[in-house]
Amino acid sequence: MNGLGKEVTIVMIEDDEGHARLIEKNIRRAGVHNEVVPFTNGTEALDFVLGKDRSGLASAGRFLLILLDLNLPDMSGIDILQKIKTNTHTKRLPVVILTTTDDEREIQRCYDLGANVYITKPVEYESFAHAIRQLGLFFSVIQIPETQ
Amino acid sequence: MPISNAAFVRSTIILLVAGMIALLGIVGTSLWLVSKVQTYFAELVDVREVRSSAADLLSTLKDAETGQRGFVITGEVSFRQPYDDALKAVAERQRLLGEKAAGFPAYAERIPEINRLVADKLAELAETVVAVESGQAANAVTLVKTDRGRLLMDQLRDQLGDIMADADRRLEAGVIDTLWSAGALRWTTVIGAIAIIAVLGGAAVIVAQYTRDIVVARREVETLNATLEKRVDERTEELIRANQEVQRFAYIVTHDLRAPLVNIMGFTSELQASLAAIQGYVLADEKPPSADDILEARRAVSEDLPEAIGFIRSSTKKMDGLINAILKISRDGRRELKIERVDIKTLIETGAAAVNHQVSESDGEITIDEKLPTVISDRLSLEQVFGNLFDNAIKYQSPERPLRISVTARNAGRAGFYIEFTDNGRGIAPEDHERVFELFRRSGTQDRPGEGIGLAHVRSLMRNLGGDIVVKSELGQGTTFVLRLPPDLSKVVRSMQA
Repeated sequence: MNGLGKEVTIVMIEDDEGHARLIEKNIRRAGVHNEVVPFTNGTEALDFVLGKDRSGLASAGRFLLILLDLNLPDMSGIDILQKIKTNTHTKRLPVVILTTTDDEREIQRCYDLGANVYITKPVEYESFAHAIRQLGLFFSVIQIPETQ
Repeated sequence: MPISNAAFVRSTIILLVAGMIALLGIVGTSLWLVSKVQTYFAELVDVREVRSSAADLLSTLKDAETGQRGFVITGEVSFRQPYDDALKAVAERQRLLGEKAAGFPAYAERIPEINRLVADKLAELAETVVAVESGQAANAVTLVKTDRGRLLMDQLRDQLGDIMADADRRLEAGVIDTLWSAGALRWTTVIGAIAIIAVLGGAAVIVAQYTRDIVVARREVETLNATLEKRVDERTEELIRANQEVQRFAYIVTHDLRAPLVNIMGFTSELQASLAAIQGYVLADEKPPSADDILEARRAVSEDLPEAIGFIRSSTKKMDGLINAILKISRDGRRELKIERVDIKTLIETGAAAVNHQVSESDGEITIDEKLPTVISDRLSLEQVFGNLFDNAIKYQSPERPLRISVTARNAGRAGFYIEFTDNGRGIAPEDHERVFELFRRSGTQDRPGEGIGLAHVRSLMRNLGGDIVVKSELGQGTTFVLRLPPDLSKVVRSMQA
């Protein structure tokens, strides 16, 4: 996966460390070797993506892809999505929602807010691993814009 | 206080009975008095008749004596006329007196004596008259002079005079009695009239009161009808809200339970994969394992196996924790509420005393309003509510300033009491104001231990008590929890059951 020839960093916002580990393992198995920066809560993730001042300038010049879980301990994933998608600097960042929630309205709401992909985590591990590997394959071909 | 139907019927019956008794009393007394007057009158007539017949007998005897005297003096028959007339009438007069006096024992006992005296007197008169007729006028004068006639006449006059005097006395007494009866009759009528007016007045008052109560009750029913729709709307809204909460709860619970399940299943599969690598090395009996096999087996044993086991264990533990938390909330919801008088001030002071050490450690201060109410509620629930709020205030205090907690209350009438629990801690972002009350959800930097149960528990406790809790907060400034508490939980419980 690249963006204009530069390495893309995957920002994984996932409160469950087990999930984070399983996701990472399966992405790797799909041949994705990009750097994965994991966050277990929304505050730290936003600090990284938007900066402590939440201006979004921190991401300037970066190539980021965001993997976002909706159910986080400190804030709702939807709030994070909204903050990223309404910030002029980060609004073009691809955001992949990867969550256990399969609520119809929740899915619609995420797309309304500008989510790029919405994937429900299957409980069955075979399907889970398969879905993540597919996602990894998808990562390996998509183009990522540079953050301004 | 409206009169009940039974009370109205009872008082009406009492009044009717009282009125009837008064009327019967008046009628009875009047009849009795009238009959008494009749008796008195009949007696008066009888007495008058006795008196007049006694007077008639006396006057007849006097006539007889006058005639006798005139005849004795003159010897002329014409003078004898009154005597003759009287002689003819005297028997009839005697009979009449006897007849009339028969009703009066006091008179009747005198009759034989009177009759004897009359007979003697007539005999004396006849003797003189016969003497004059036979020409012996001198004998007749002598006979008169013997005074026997005069004495007899005096005795008669006494006897008959006694009867007449007694009759006069009786007449007088009779008149007085009759007058008294008439007076009594008048008073009876007056008292009866007053009694009837009182009964009528009482009945009128009761009817008026009952009518007024009916009007009040009808107005109440009308008001209730008018507000019924509003209350139905309120209830419906509450139901919708409760339903949404249940859905949200089910959603959170299933999601949160599913997350560790994904881990368990995932790492079990990973465990299996690692096992294959180890098997490739350990069970490679025929050919020696390649360098790759060895490396893979080593990595499986040193990294993958412990990692998988660690995640499986922590996920199982997490699931257990979630299930226990759900059980705790469900148990609290089903706990029998013990409804009693609870002094909120004492309760909060106790809660404050329990955390006093931690508060004073950081130069903190707790101020409690003097005017906190006393409510009818469940003490244990309220203790848990305020205990949680104190713990949260301490846990999420701002490191930049000493902790200040204040508790105030205001009375909002029908809605109940509003108790405001304010701290100057780090505050809650606006988008999390509703989220903090959800199960397993927390707000802000996750630098304090906790599972996200406290406020969910507090809200479910408050709603169980017929109240609610909301939050007002500004990030970095502080937080105010506004608790609404009904003054009397037993009424809430009753209206829920109704």
